[in-house]
Amino acid sequence: MTPFLQATLYGLLQGGLLALVAVGFSLVWGVMNIVNLAHGAFVILGAYIAWELSTRFGIDPFLGMLVSAVVLFAAGYLIQRFLTNLVVNAPIFITLLLTFGINLMLVQGMNIVFSADFRSIRTSYASDSVRMGGVQLPLGRMLAFAITIVITLALVAFVNHTRTGLSIMATGMDRGAARLMGIRARHVYALTFGIACGLAGLAGAMVGMIGTFHPADAGNFTLFSFVIAVLGGLGNMYGALFGGLLLGLVESWGGQYLSGTWVNAIAFLVLVLVLVFRPTGLVGRAFYSTRVEV
Amino acid sequence: MRAKQTMVAGTALILAVAAAGCGSKGAAKNNSSSDTLTLGAAMSLTGALAREGGLTKEGYDLCQTKVNAQGGVPVGGKKLKLKISYQDDQSAPDTAAQIVDQFNDKGIKLILSSYGSANTEAQAAVVERNGQVMADSAGADDKIFQKGYKRTFAVLSPATDYAASIVDAINEMANPKPKTMVFLSADDGFSKTAAEGGVQKAKDDGFTVLPTQFFPANTSDVSSALNKIKGEKPDVIIGSVHVVEGVAIVKQSKELGVSPAGGFGETVAPPTPDFVTTLGPLAENVLGSSQWTDTSKGTDKYFGTAKDYQSDIQKAFKHAPDYHDAEASAACLAMVLAVTKAGSTNPDKVRDALASLDTQSFFGQIRFNSVGQNIYKPMSVIQVQNGKAVTVWPKDSAEANFIWPGNKQ
Repeated sequence: MTPFLQATLYGLLQGGLLALVAVGFSLVWGVMNIVNLAHGAFVILGAYIAWELSTRFGIDPFLGMLVSAVVLFAAGYLIQRFLTNLVVNAPIFITLLLTFGINLMLVQGMNIVFSADFRSIRTSYASDSVRMGGVQLPLGRMLAFAITIVITLALVAFVNHTRTGLSIMATGMDRGAARLMGIRARHVYALTFGIACGLAGLAGAMVGMIGTFHPADAGNFTLFSFVIAVLGGLGNMYGALFGGLLLGLVESWGGQYLSGTWVNAIAFLVLVLVLVFRPTGLVGRAFYSTRVEV
Repeated sequence: MRAKQTMVAGTALILAVAAAGCGSKGAAKNNSSSDTLTLGAAMSLTGALAREGGLTKEGYDLCQTKVNAQGGVPVGGKKLKLKISYQDDQSAPDTAAQIVDQFNDKGIKLILSSYGSANTEAQAAVVERNGQVMADSAGADDKIFQKGYKRTFAVLSPATDYAASIVDAINEMANPKPKTMVFLSADDGFSKTAAEGGVQKAKDDGFTVLPTQFFPANTSDVSSALNKIKGEKPDVIIGSVHVVEGVAIVKQSKELGVSPAGGFGETVAPPTPDFVTTLGPLAENVLGSSQWTDTSKGTDKYFGTAKDYQSDIQKAFKHAPDYHDAEASAACLAMVLAVTKAGSTNPDKVRDALASLDTQSFFGQIRFNSVGQNIYKPMSVIQVQNGKAVTVWPKDSAEANFIWPGNKQ
């Protein structure tokens, strides 16, 4: 029983971390219909910012993540406002191509500036764990999980109870109608992309604290985010959380009871099953299929 | 009449282009100008293996610097300036192979391998087909040498020796001697072959070996494998891994409370600088297998001794040398010495010269068997002590005492 409990717990914690990585990706896809292929690069950039703050100034990653979030929010806002907004009305393949290009530039830029060395943000506590009822509770992952829950709840409150959040949702549902109501869509889109990048920066600091990272990991994080967004579904702020937890559990149980080399195949099998039986994802709503384009 | 002339001219043009293409594939001459010897190197400068690829490039770069500092490569009475032409393979085997093909189209027949067994295996097939010659610096998987290739020569020990050398060191020096071992392996070809070699050696030495656990290559989550073996309480955990999985094994063992009584050993990861910088105190006493250490015996006219090599790398790249640097320099050295011996850049003559090469070097003695493996190449075992990888085995070249049990978690 203990191995099962340990695998379940670890899977949930790993899933929580992946959910934190994916929440911004899911937001941008849901609201703007942009599949941001540079999302993983923003995550890694966030990790580097927190790493620099930690190694140069001894700043704890839980403080460093706030700096990462602010810097990447600003970068994301500017990228969307002055670059992506130019093609936001174009077919999805154009924005796909644009974000692919941004990803290439960011990854190569990080290769040049930081090199391909593996890094980790070292703390005195992240690898410690607490033993409870025969299972180990890793401290760093527990803290990252708590951050994921707080961020998800904060995001839900933000989009449902603030004027800015409601304008983001309104723009996502029907851009034309939102404009007619006086919402500045360009600003709202830039704000949404900025928030997503800020969340990516925050996730990057957690990833850097718990594991290792280097520029080439960007692709993996984008792929994870894509799978989680599809699993969880778009148009619901809880989608990334549920998608991440499901992916974490599937990978953990798969690795525990089958050969470890099957983990990825099982994760994608579950993705296919979810798409077959619930095409909008676990908690998603079909935003874009029902949206009236103007 | 005009139409007929156009058709003839068109056909002639097509035939000329085709002939030029055939010429480049089959030309038995390396594309070197009268004063330059060009070696082609696809290199993992981006992608998952960019770190190890970067270290390999450092080794090739130092070779180029050292050879040119002595005026270049002596070939038939004159000295050719050594030039290594790089192209990024993005850590993808098919791209690495395509680049070798492109080098061939440019007339570059002498090749230095990319990083890693998968890339080298893909390249070796193309090299064989094109009549090129490759000095292999980092493709250790035994499978590369079981295909009857005659034009790939590896300066490094085969994959089966990596984990086996750690088992050897533990068997010879550990006190108290552990009873049970488990191997955790990434699922790429090199790691699986290395794990098989280790398991066989451990069984031969009388250890109880638990079933090997696998995980996807390049993953940073090995928790399932650790969770599976936790209840078995193995005395030693040996990872057959690259850097990222190797770091994950030690980190996640701490998180999950997996604490082998003896300690950890890992193949590729511990000698790399990143292992200590990412793990900090958790890296202490972890054993690692190394193709080269600065206590290796031998000398050559370009690099001098292993100690000279160590200080040259430190000077040029501001870090202690890693075996990835050294094996790359050694492969380049073997190619340079073979060209000198052949007195020609003709790939067939260089191939024959490599096949009969028998030389001392900072990397140890280099001599290839009939399948292209370096028959004199022993492995060393290092242990991380006070944040530094030091040689602990074989005993006659040890820099420090073997610390056992090594587990401080």
